[in-house]
Amino acid sequence: MEEKISELKAAAVAEVKAAGDLTALNDIRVKYLGKKGEFTAILRGMGSLSAEERPKVGKIVNVAKAEVEEAINAQTGELKAKELSARLASEKIDVTLPGRSVPQGHLHPLTLTMQRIKDIFVHMGFSVEEGPEIERDYFNFEALNLPKDHPARDMQDSFYITDEILMRSQTSPVQARTMQSNEPNKPIRMIAPGRVYRRDEYDATHSPMFTQVEGLVIDKGISFADLKGTLELFLHQIFNENVGVRFRPSFFPFTEPSAEVDISCVMCHGEGCKVCKGTGWLEILGAGMVHPHVLEMSGYDPKVVSGFAFGLGVERIAMLSYGIDDLRLFYDNDVRFLQQF
Amino acid sequence: MQVSIKWLNDYIKFNETAEELADKYTMSGVPVENVIRADEGLDKVVTGRIEKLEAHPDSDHLQICQMNVGEPELIQIITGAQNVAEGQIVPVAMVGAHLPNGLHIKKGKLRGLPSNGMLCSAEELKMDLSKLTEAEKNGIYILPADTPVGVPAKDVLGLDDVVLEFELTANRADCFSVVGLVREAAVLTGNEPHYPEISVKEDDEAKAADMIKIGIDSELCDRFAARVIKNVKVGPSPEWMQQRLEGAGIRAINNVVDVTNFVMVELGQPMHAYDYDEIAGHSLTARLAKEGENLHTLDDSSRIAKGTELVIADAEKPAGLAGVMGGLESEVTEKTTTIVLEAASFNGASIRRTSRACGLHSEASGRFERGVDVTAIPRALDRACQLLQEMGACTVTQGMVDVYPQQKEQTEIHYTAEQINARLGTQLSAAKMMEILTSLGFAVQTEGEGFVAKVPSWRNDCTCMEDLSEEISRIYGFDNIAPSLPWGAVMQGKQSPRQDFIDKIKEILVGLGMTEELSFSFTNTDLLDKMLVPADSELRKAVPIMNPLTDDYPLVRTSLLTSIMENAVRNFSRKNMDLRLFDVAPVFFPKQLPVTEQPEEVVKLVGLMTGRRNTVGWNQTNDMIDFYDMKGLVEELLASLSISKYTVEAGEHFALHPGKTALFKKGREVIATIGELHPQAAENFGIKQKVYLFEMDVEVLMKYTAKNFHFDSLPKFPATSRDLAIVVDSDAEAGKIEQVITKNGGKHFKSVTLFDVYTGEHVAKGKKSLAFNLQFQSKDKTLTDEEADTAFNNILKAVEKQFGAELRA
Repeated sequence: MEEKISELKAAAVAEVKAAGDLTALNDIRVKYLGKKGEFTAILRGMGSLSAEERPKVGKIVNVAKAEVEEAINAQTGELKAKELSARLASEKIDVTLPGRSVPQGHLHPLTLTMQRIKDIFVHMGFSVEEGPEIERDYFNFEALNLPKDHPARDMQDSFYITDEILMRSQTSPVQARTMQSNEPNKPIRMIAPGRVYRRDEYDATHSPMFTQVEGLVIDKGISFADLKGTLELFLHQIFNENVGVRFRPSFFPFTEPSAEVDISCVMCHGEGCKVCKGTGWLEILGAGMVHPHVLEMSGYDPKVVSGFAFGLGVERIAMLSYGIDDLRLFYDNDVRFLQQF
Repeated sequence: MQVSIKWLNDYIKFNETAEELADKYTMSGVPVENVIRADEGLDKVVTGRIEKLEAHPDSDHLQICQMNVGEPELIQIITGAQNVAEGQIVPVAMVGAHLPNGLHIKKGKLRGLPSNGMLCSAEELKMDLSKLTEAEKNGIYILPADTPVGVPAKDVLGLDDVVLEFELTANRADCFSVVGLVREAAVLTGNEPHYPEISVKEDDEAKAADMIKIGIDSELCDRFAARVIKNVKVGPSPEWMQQRLEGAGIRAINNVVDVTNFVMVELGQPMHAYDYDEIAGHSLTARLAKEGENLHTLDDSSRIAKGTELVIADAEKPAGLAGVMGGLESEVTEKTTTIVLEAASFNGASIRRTSRACGLHSEASGRFERGVDVTAIPRALDRACQLLQEMGACTVTQGMVDVYPQQKEQTEIHYTAEQINARLGTQLSAAKMMEILTSLGFAVQTEGEGFVAKVPSWRNDCTCMEDLSEEISRIYGFDNIAPSLPWGAVMQGKQSPRQDFIDKIKEILVGLGMTEELSFSFTNTDLLDKMLVPADSELRKAVPIMNPLTDDYPLVRTSLLTSIMENAVRNFSRKNMDLRLFDVAPVFFPKQLPVTEQPEEVVKLVGLMTGRRNTVGWNQTNDMIDFYDMKGLVEELLASLSISKYTVEAGEHFALHPGKTALFKKGREVIATIGELHPQAAENFGIKQKVYLFEMDVEVLMKYTAKNFHFDSLPKFPATSRDLAIVVDSDAEAGKIEQVITKNGGKHFKSVTLFDVYTGEHVAKGKKSLAFNLQFQSKDKTLTDEEADTAFNNILKAVEKQFGAELRA
């Protein structure tokens, strides 16, 4: 009897090991362990055995069954693993094929540059002010200490609509507008970004329309040293901490003293190259202490408060930041250009 | 303004190189734009004597020169020149020289014999060939026999001059003269200047006052002075003067003209010379031109006076446009023997107006515009007479005729050291300030706690304490002022709500795959025509520019659509066929035409989509963008801006396809217009593919954006879903049906989604099938089937009634 069980177990295990798939394995399970299986048959046939033998044989059968069960489980695991690896192999794709692209939008490089400029100043407590693009001569020039027929008007050849109305040639009129809308001598920290217009031929460095940011700080005790500190901080943030900054005396009718501000050439780092015309310096913005006439004309008292103002060209900063050599690219709107930003 | 170092050196010596001096000028507010060197490349060119000359044994044209270049040993140079002889002195380029023509001189061998340099021609030294004879131009340039040997050739060739080209600011009238620049150089270098000594011998017995009458009959002239010179011999001016003028960029003409120009550049005072015999009535008056008067100027052009021009008139007619250009009739010629020299001061603004109106800009008008030193006028006249007298070109009559009605008062500026230091953020001593101001010609005295500075006559630009702070800081050096940061009231950094809103629009559109463009604010009628803008449209009433750059863009734009179309066309021409562009910018509407006040500025948002829906790819379809892509985009934009509960209906827009135009509305207000570009407009622009456009008004969008956003809590009970498939007439609008569904959905109605539109064999002709999914949901319970069915049936009844809809089998 024991021998028969042993043989049966050996046969079953052998069949299990030979089973090639899960269906065959299940058939084997039914054949040996099922309700009508061979081991079950032996257990059923135990009625003919003696009472002493019955538990003994029963135990042997159960041990054998467990062994077969274990073999089946092992084989199941093996077959499942094989099946999975076959499936995975069959599902392989060419991961080097290009991905499905998602249409991507882009902000204009001048908008990106403007946002950086605004962020720096807003974080320093400046508010962002606006004014009309078609402006009165009074705000664009006269309130800025530039009376009619002043030779300094040559610096800005403007588009006129009437003798008294023009397309603003600078964002500076927002200075006068902001002061005049305030209570006299109220402290100001503002920037005024926007489009401006000049009668300049359209070429690699000039455009009849371009973008400026005007800045104005007015408070008690504002000094030229404060102007230097603020603009150095800005230039170090917009370019980098290592950029050299120098202030050159200059002339604007609305400031006194006035300065042109240069940075060390970002292309050659001051060595001298084509971009900086060999000087190692790039003119980046104009600034100065607000002229007392400008304060007076807008209702501020120069004996009580002082301030500084500055103006910078956004195109210039964008060109230097991105290494763009032709200003016209900004207004050509070729999508191959726009989509790089 | 440009001036040569030689001219500066006439009045001041300094050790700085031209470049170093230029840098000092620039950093003190007198910007030098360029340093122009005539001696560029002549560093290693010296004078040498040909001590021995013999023929080259292996050549029929080469000669061997033994050159004395001032060194202990002779050097050997082989030359191919034929015009050389022993004993001559010639320019020698030594080994290592890098000539102006790019030639690099190296040790070499010619036909086997060593050659250690090169003899130079005039052309190789970049000399001014127009001043040389044929013989001097050809072959080696032979120097005079008494030329020293071994000295730099540039010194003996007159090529040693360096020209500084200034880009002066409008305030520094005083620097438009050599004397003014020398004054600055003296402060910057610390060296002593030696100004020209002006003295004139009145060696003619005639009295100027008897010969000429001078008058001022306009407030636009402050001072008018003249001298008369006789026995004038017009001829060329001396070489040194021609050289100085050339360095200043002024062509030499004759001694009289050259002297007036020389004095103008030297002292900054423009002058004019009249032929005395051509002055009618021997009187000159500064007056306004009479309207209609003929102005016949030196350039032989005639202008009709408007009556606003200041002229210098003789007894009969204008003899010149004051400060701008002299008259032709009284021009000095070779026949002239008696001359009236005029020096005056005119109102800058008036000169500027006249010079601009006539299109005449001259060295003189530029100086008058900025203002001359009115007190220095007699000096200028004396200087001119002195120079002509020294040349032996004239005799000078007795006295000067000078009309100077209102003596100019010296400006006094009161200041304290504290004021200046507060403005600059410095701690300069009062003594330092006084030292700087004094060096610049200010007379400074103490006055109580503070000081009073008397402004020198040549500094009309200095009128207030702030001007003094600039003078002090520019000489002290901006770089020496330590930076600080402003302190004071703490301010909130912020943008306006509109700025934030525009930034948000841009962000959303970029997220939706749109690219931002920026375009000029100009337009023209042709673009409006192409866009099919009707003749009576407001968009036609664009603001005209008085002085446009070109005739191509004479108007300020009223629509962004024309701009975005121009950009699309430019992209198409470059084979960029797939575009998704947007632009946010103002357009301009005049309150009336012609314009009398500032126009209204309205910020618009436009978008354009065209080309493929997807980028080209192995796994992408080649479908083209259609109306519904654009509509979907606009719906997403509005949703992201928290604008909801709007209606969409078919509408009209001149530039859009009449059957493919939709208006998004809030009540009766249009918040967005979208559609396909009108095929006629497409043809006008030469576009072959379909282009979709949208246009919105930023202020209107801002009005409808939800101010406060509140979230909807998530439902606790499941939604019940029903599908409604109906057959309606094919021209029934789905949007209207959705509106009816929404209106009749009952209190548990949640949403409707159109998921299928079908026309074809399974529905009757002239009909279409629409399938909607309806969602019902309650906040308080799970809906029963009965409740959902009731709502569904109400909806069905309503669409049956209003659209003749039939439930699809």
